[in-house]
Amino acid sequence: MRSRRKATTERAVAFLWLLRKEARELLASRAWWVLLFAMGPLVGVTFISAVRTYAEASGLNGTAAGVGEAFSPLIGIWAPTFSACEVAAVFLLPFVAIRLVGGDRQSGALKIEAQHRMPSIERIAAKALVLLLAWIVASMPAAAAVALWKSYGGSIYRPEVATVMFGHLLDAGLTIALAAVTAAVSEHPSTAAILTLSVTVGTWILNFIAAVQGGIWERVAGYTPPAMVAAFQHGLVRLDVVLIAAILIALGLTLAAVWIRTGVAVGRRARETGAWSAAAAAAIFACTFATPSWDASESRANSFPAPDEAALARIDRPLHIEAHLAPEDPRRADLDRKAFAKLRRVMPKLDVRYVSATSIGLFEQTSPHYGEIWYELGGRREMRRATTAESVLETIYDLAGIKAPDESDEPVFRGHPLAVPPKGAATVFYGLWPALVVASALFARRR
Amino acid sequence: MLHVHGFTKRYGRIAALSDVSFSVREGEVLGLIGPNGSGKTTLFECMGGVLPLDGGALVRGGRPVGGRERASMLFYLPDQIVPWPAQTVRWAIDFTLGLFGGRAALREQVVRQLDVEPLLDVAIGSLSKGQRKRALLAIGLLMPHPLLLADEPFDGLDLRQSRDVARTLRSYASAGRTMFLSIHQIRDAARVCDRFVLLSGGRARGEGTIRELAALAAARGSDAGEDLEEVFLALT
Repeated sequence: MRSRRKATTERAVAFLWLLRKEARELLASRAWWVLLFAMGPLVGVTFISAVRTYAEASGLNGTAAGVGEAFSPLIGIWAPTFSACEVAAVFLLPFVAIRLVGGDRQSGALKIEAQHRMPSIERIAAKALVLLLAWIVASMPAAAAVALWKSYGGSIYRPEVATVMFGHLLDAGLTIALAAVTAAVSEHPSTAAILTLSVTVGTWILNFIAAVQGGIWERVAGYTPPAMVAAFQHGLVRLDVVLIAAILIALGLTLAAVWIRTGVAVGRRARETGAWSAAAAAAIFACTFATPSWDASESRANSFPAPDEAALARIDRPLHIEAHLAPEDPRRADLDRKAFAKLRRVMPKLDVRYVSATSIGLFEQTSPHYGEIWYELGGRREMRRATTAESVLETIYDLAGIKAPDESDEPVFRGHPLAVPPKGAATVFYGLWPALVVASALFARRR
Repeated sequence: MLHVHGFTKRYGRIAALSDVSFSVREGEVLGLIGPNGSGKTTLFECMGGVLPLDGGALVRGGRPVGGRERASMLFYLPDQIVPWPAQTVRWAIDFTLGLFGGRAALREQVVRQLDVEPLLDVAIGSLSKGQRKRALLAIGLLMPHPLLLADEPFDGLDLRQSRDVARTLRSYASAGRTMFLSIHQIRDAARVCDRFVLLSGGRARGEGTIRELAALAAARGSDAGEDLEEVFLALT
């Protein structure tokens, strides 16, 4: 008992030493200071531009007052402001992560550290933990933007801001995991950087193919980092997205741990990689069936009115929808975002199928069936062409044989117009933050 | 203490080690002697668990040594590494002592004996080859493992430093620490080692004290006497 406690203490002490070492290595990394420095101007540009646009739409400088009535800070301010974090997570964070994970191999420190009995997953966990903390520190300018917005008298709806922040934290976690694998697999950091950026570009290509081809591509593309972040930026927390992101992060760190080990034959590592990847793929597939989701937006942008949701939830039969619309037809995007996405949240047995012969639909317009939307519920079929949410709901109620709920008396979200200029933001993001970073870098170097 | 049994390692078609076997005895300074490219570093990396073996095993008490047992038994100090280049020597010593639970009580003594004191606040990446070698040897000597494997411990050191380091290594061996040193300069090896393993072309050509190796050479018709260089040339 005592020896087990002693072993646990020794293990904890070793892990703490490793954490301290990773933190020091991070502070010694130029890539980290560049990321930190760049975050100020990056967030500054997006925040200042968003606040100006928001102010103009809210009636500043003589524009029509009231345009901003339906304005939500989630879409008007937080989505664009935090998109700076997405840019940094794609283009800057990988270099910091690769430096921290691959640096040990480059310098030879790995040959010394790997002689400790500590499992390689703990070594990777220490690196990931420090990188995640580093990302939180690097996100401070975004937090400063929230504080500035509050100081302008702007409205802050905490659940939606927290959702956006959580989404970007997951995105950073994915980047860290990806960079950790590539750094562990590659002999040289530049190879790791190329591999990481290739995967990122690959997800963009996948999104592009999905937009053109639809079908299974669209479903897979829904779980790429840009699509995940987009969902969070709309205030939507989907359990399947969170679970799949967590699995991908765990897979990335596990594979990094497999490849960072010394003294293990490449063949064995490859077999372990295959096994872990297969297990993760199975888990991801299972997670795609997890339907719970939460609409954290103040405007309930991802939900139908509550009475409609209650009525739809009572329909327990499967609903099949076949929409004859091409992937690039704007009506299809409207239909999916404003109706089907909301419908999926309350009707788990919904099956939507798009039918089209081409990707843009331009030459299908003359086809007699193009634009038709077929609904099938409980053996009854009905066809409509309208793509509004109201029309979709009306058709479903008809097929289900239930009465449409009365007009909701819940208060309608009117938005929070705010016609103020981004006062002091330039000083904070272009002056104070960079100065603070430079001073901290000099201080850290002297220590 | 430990038996290296049939170590075999290939890099594609090239055999870096072919069925290499020898023993490491407790409390001795064992020298691994061989020309450049003979497989010394590969042998050390396989013993230290850095490289996977294609064949053979480390054996102790008649049974193979597992990864965990090896990690508590031997510490391998690689050559030509610049670990934690941005950190100071002082920090590197603190870190390795903390991580491995090293012999902290010996810290001042080792630092003084290897003349590392003036280097304590210098970044490892800024050290010269010889300075770095002494700093890393200090780390190696402070580790808690009973067996220290040091790859080319005299590389980059001048004559005076080589003698001082040899004296220091011997003093720790006398105190019960086992050392296995890979050395390509035979004169350095003769100065510090009790026994030798001769490696050439990835094969062990002989193992023993100078006298035993000289006898082996004589048995093969050489009149090398007890000059290690001549014995090495006769046996390889």
